[in-house]
Amino acid sequence: MDSTGRQGARSARRRLLGLIALSPAAAWLPAAARLEATDYAGSREVLDAIDAFEVDVASRLEALEVAVPAARAFVESLSRDHLRHREDRRTLRRRLGLEPAPSPPDAAAEDVDLAGLRAAQEALVFAHAEGLPAMGDPAAVDTLARHMVDLSRHLTVIDLWIEGES
Amino acid sequence: MISGEAGASRRDFVVRIARAAGISPLVLGVLAGRGEALVPGEEADLAILYAALALEHHAIALYDVGLERGLFPAGLRAHAVEFRGDHLGHRDTQVAIAEERGGRPPEALASYELGPLQPGDRFVQRALEIEVAAQRAYTGLISQIRTRDYLLSAAFILVDEVRHMTVWRRALGLQIY
Repeated sequence: MDSTGRQGARSARRRLLGLIALSPAAAWLPAAARLEATDYAGSREVLDAIDAFEVDVASRLEALEVAVPAARAFVESLSRDHLRHREDRRTLRRRLGLEPAPSPPDAAAEDVDLAGLRAAQEALVFAHAEGLPAMGDPAAVDTLARHMVDLSRHLTVIDLWIEGES
Repeated sequence: MISGEAGASRRDFVVRIARAAGISPLVLGVLAGRGEALVPGEEADLAILYAALALEHHAIALYDVGLERGLFPAGLRAHAVEFRGDHLGHRDTQVAIAEERGGRPPEALASYELGPLQPGDRFVQRALEIEVAAQRAYTGLISQIRTRDYLLSAAFILVDEVRHMTVWRRALGLQIY
């Protein structure tokens, strides 16, 4: 898994975030490094980011399904999870008194690129992880954490797929 | 959402692993779904930190034994090494967070009741069990964390636990999507 360097990069980011978590101890960290973790201002910003990243992943999955029919079961499974997550977020927005999600941009067909899909999926996972502290609501944290579990599993499946192809 | 007999069975499984790891009765009650809620604040965060640390110590002990005795299938050893390293990182991060808050994080137990240890897929199954327990414990407790920096760390730890669990499930031929 380390052979491509992807895992190493991910671990480095996690280590960095671990250091950032120890705020006084991390005072020496350069500003650019601190900025690597997105610091969301509030729940609406988190949910908007998640919605946008999910659209990106979904469009890439659609393109993948067209190009690689064998991926159909995988894409359908992930799409079902996305649908459920979207509905949960819609409920969450209503409960938190937030405006509905902005209309998603037209999902342009993406190139079929597993690395691109992986990057988009990782961005979606990170938006959840980095968004949790900004939610300010235990039930919302619980919902998004459970979604993050699904999405981290998807990310690992993509990693294993890439690993199998290399 | 956990409900019904299957939910109770899953909770029993997590509680059994958590109890073996030495987790406090307070947090065990939350994991057991007995309706107790931790009073939000520094004390609750420390209780969760200590529970998470107990599970990390337990996981490290299991991986240590598996690697030392060659119990992981050869083709999966690299994953085991990587995952052990992740658990060491989780442990160190959480120890540092606890100490920064003036806590006294629990050390690893002198020994762990790991039960019969058999090589190959059976040992991978054992590793899967501890990863599932860790994933469920973090998922169940994360919404009770109030400190932003600890919540961020716990989120990334949870991402790791899911990764470990998924890799072991795939190695055992179990469904992963």
